[in-house]
Amino acid sequence: MITDIVGLLAGALFYSATVFLVAAGLQVIYGVQRVVNLACGSFFVLGAYMGTTFVTVSQNLGLPPILSLIPLIAAGLSLFFVGLIIETCLLRFVYKQDVHFQFLLTYAIALMLDDAIKYFWGSSPRVVQKVYTVYGQIDIFGATIPNYNIVVVICSCVIAILIGYMFTRTRFGIIVRAAAENPDITNALGVNMKVVFAKVFTLGTVLGTLGGALVIPSRAAMPDMGWELMMMSFAVITIGGLGTMRGAFFGSLLVGIVRSITIFVVPQLELLIIYLIVIAVLVIRPQGLFLNAD
Amino acid sequence: MILRSLMKGKILVGIMAGLILLFLPRIATEHITFVMLGVFGFTLAVLGFNFLFGYLGLLSLGHSLFFSLGAYTVAFSMRQSIFSMELIILITILVSGLVAILIGAICVRYTQIHFSILTFAFAMLFYSFLIKFYFVTGGDDGLRVLTPHLVGTNFADVPKMQFLLREYYYYTLTVTGLTTWVLWRIVKSPFGLTIRAIRNNQVKSEYLGISIWKYRWATFIISGIYTALGGALMAPVIGNVDPSLAHWFQSGSLILMTLLGGFAQFVGPVLGALIFTYLQDFLMSALHYWRFVFGALLAFVVIVAPEGIMGAIDSFLKKIKGGV
Amino acid sequence: MQKAAILNANDVSKSYKEFFALSEVTLEIREGEIVSIIGPNGAGKTTLINVLTGLFRPTAGTVYFKGQDIGGIGPQKLTKLGLARSFQLLQIFPEFTTLEFIKIAIVSRQGKGINLFSSLDKDKGLNGESEEIINMFGLYEKRNVLSANLPQGDKKLLDIASALALHPEVILLDEPTSGVSTSEKNRIMDILLSASQRTGVKSIVLVEHDMDIVFSFSDRIIALHQGRVLADCTPAELEKNEEVVCTVMGQKECFQTFDSLLNRESGERNRHDA
Repeated sequence: MITDIVGLLAGALFYSATVFLVAAGLQVIYGVQRVVNLACGSFFVLGAYMGTTFVTVSQNLGLPPILSLIPLIAAGLSLFFVGLIIETCLLRFVYKQDVHFQFLLTYAIALMLDDAIKYFWGSSPRVVQKVYTVYGQIDIFGATIPNYNIVVVICSCVIAILIGYMFTRTRFGIIVRAAAENPDITNALGVNMKVVFAKVFTLGTVLGTLGGALVIPSRAAMPDMGWELMMMSFAVITIGGLGTMRGAFFGSLLVGIVRSITIFVVPQLELLIIYLIVIAVLVIRPQGLFLNAD
Repeated sequence: MILRSLMKGKILVGIMAGLILLFLPRIATEHITFVMLGVFGFTLAVLGFNFLFGYLGLLSLGHSLFFSLGAYTVAFSMRQSIFSMELIILITILVSGLVAILIGAICVRYTQIHFSILTFAFAMLFYSFLIKFYFVTGGDDGLRVLTPHLVGTNFADVPKMQFLLREYYYYTLTVTGLTTWVLWRIVKSPFGLTIRAIRNNQVKSEYLGISIWKYRWATFIISGIYTALGGALMAPVIGNVDPSLAHWFQSGSLILMTLLGGFAQFVGPVLGALIFTYLQDFLMSALHYWRFVFGALLAFVVIVAPEGIMGAIDSFLKKIKGGV
Repeated sequence: MQKAAILNANDVSKSYKEFFALSEVTLEIREGEIVSIIGPNGAGKTTLINVLTGLFRPTAGTVYFKGQDIGGIGPQKLTKLGLARSFQLLQIFPEFTTLEFIKIAIVSRQGKGINLFSSLDKDKGLNGESEEIINMFGLYEKRNVLSANLPQGDKKLLDIASALALHPEVILLDEPTSGVSTSEKNRIMDILLSASQRTGVKSIVLVEHDMDIVFSFSDRIIALHQGRVLADCTPAELEKNEEVVCTVMGQKECFQTFDSLLNRESGERNRHDA
């Protein structure tokens, strides 16, 4: 019994950690730019595939598998230029437009990214060898928990703290929060909103690519894995409400736990669960993100 | 004066288009006629989508649900030995209407982006359902669609291709024409005026006594039925219905067609369906990374010309009118 | 003998956490009256209107319309009961022509919105009545102009006209003459009053800043200050009440009207002296 609960919680935490990063990326971009980034899932997939490449290359170069965390994080961070290019060349032209069109542009971006990923990596799943197992496992109350999962959860928390610190203590963070509260005044105070928007979007997408890269040892990178996460992130943002990382944090926890419990109880519905949860969340608690989007 | 000649111009274009459609099987290649069959189906699908988007202002990211629902209804009916197309159409209207009533009741209570994500989720739910419950739905492989009976006549002895390009072509043309006319009537009715009011100004509409969510619900239902009808008409043409019809990519196609042609005019989406279907046919055979082109095209339209081709034509005509 | 109250607020308060937008407001609108609600910006006029039109539920107290509790029932239901409203910040249908703007109000009133197949263009009764109303408001020549392209004054008239097309029993007008030139103001008020009479409106509630208009047209004036009713009396009685005059009009926004009131007072004094 305890074994089951511990196993369930561990699985939930791991999933939550993953979702949190994508949701945080979504939150950051929406909070400041009021743009809903439908492509957040695609960035996740991009990070995942790039992660496989970085790890494979580093292993070929002789890096011991236990240090694979380094190339994984590097993979996530290195993709910053993708978000940057997309923001400067595409997104910035639709800020003045109706919210539906901004939305549709991110949808188009998702489509393009998906095919771009297929072009570079093909459409078959890709895995990295050895990394997951090399971290070993731990036994808690009879439940076997892969240590890598714990590593991911820790990484997620660290990133959450870093982001929190950035928003509250750094100059950039304060500017970003001001821009989120009142873009016009911030602009009038001499802040270059174009630069802020570019940086914020890049940050948002990097959180997604990092999330994708980090999960790679535990699962294969697959083309359609992004949409599921995108939907879950929306559920998370809706639960957590607009405004704080804390919302994304607790929202992710809740979503992860509900998902794990539901899969445990009704495993046949695994594919459908995600969408059912999203629908349930959106229906039960529509405040926060979406009420403000009107 | 200029307005009158423009009106005459529109009528002229309409008549020409009608004539071309009527004689297409005679004057064009088999391939072109075959693709036109797809245009008919997409026309209804896209008119349904845009009734919700262009007239009411609600963006559904999940209309692939209705499109696939219509297609699967055809396949299912045939499995139950129902081959009469008229009966199948009726069943499609009933089934899609019911689904739209249920899903609509949930979705239309919510705000714009929220609404979009909800519809997206429902479509993906349906997609997952189609794949997962393979013993009912045929799973990834889908279900075969046999030759329907048109107006009571069984065309089993006619070669499939010939049937499609002749008998089925004219049947679909008629059905599409009729249902399009019906939607046109609806758009020009007090109902149509009311939903346009809601899109223009929701607050003022409420203060005029208009019950917002009731009209949204009704529009959603009509929209779902039309898109399902489009899917149903397409089913015999595709010959095999599979879950990809419910995928978000299919929803995206409908959106692209609508934006490309122009969402603010009644015929805009129809034009978009026409262009898109032929374009897709041409490019899909030539390109492997079709999604990328599709996405790029959507991005282009959104950034550069969100009002679409008809919108651009309209603005151009207005400029001429204003200049006189 | 006072006529029956058609709309009344009893001890209405509306608060947001510690801030009270309205405190213990009690007022009545009777049949056949034109009542103006005045007060400086921030006095709570808009909140009061929103509460009276069922948009906000009062934190305390009740609002009754024709004997029915309408607290927070929402504008849609209230409109069906017979209470209409126009807006200070223009609410129009930008893509509608003037004609369509009035048509939609009539369509809603007649419940024709559910007609899916009848043709709007061919409905003679609808067209006739729409044109009649447009004519009342002097907008006939502009009946096919898009409402977004109309001048400000005409947009205001359209907002009011569409509210009147609902044949309400009570109409609430939120600053109907704001944002238009002085010469326009009287024109709007005259049109408004004659149209109200012709469409069978029983009572008019005006929220206004322009004291000339208020004093010329009102049967009664209700003065609000910091969410409370400061005075509720006829224009003549209000003029004599210096305390109210100073409090309500001594605010920075109302210098001009204060002056005009002073002039009126000194004009009267001169008449008395002479």
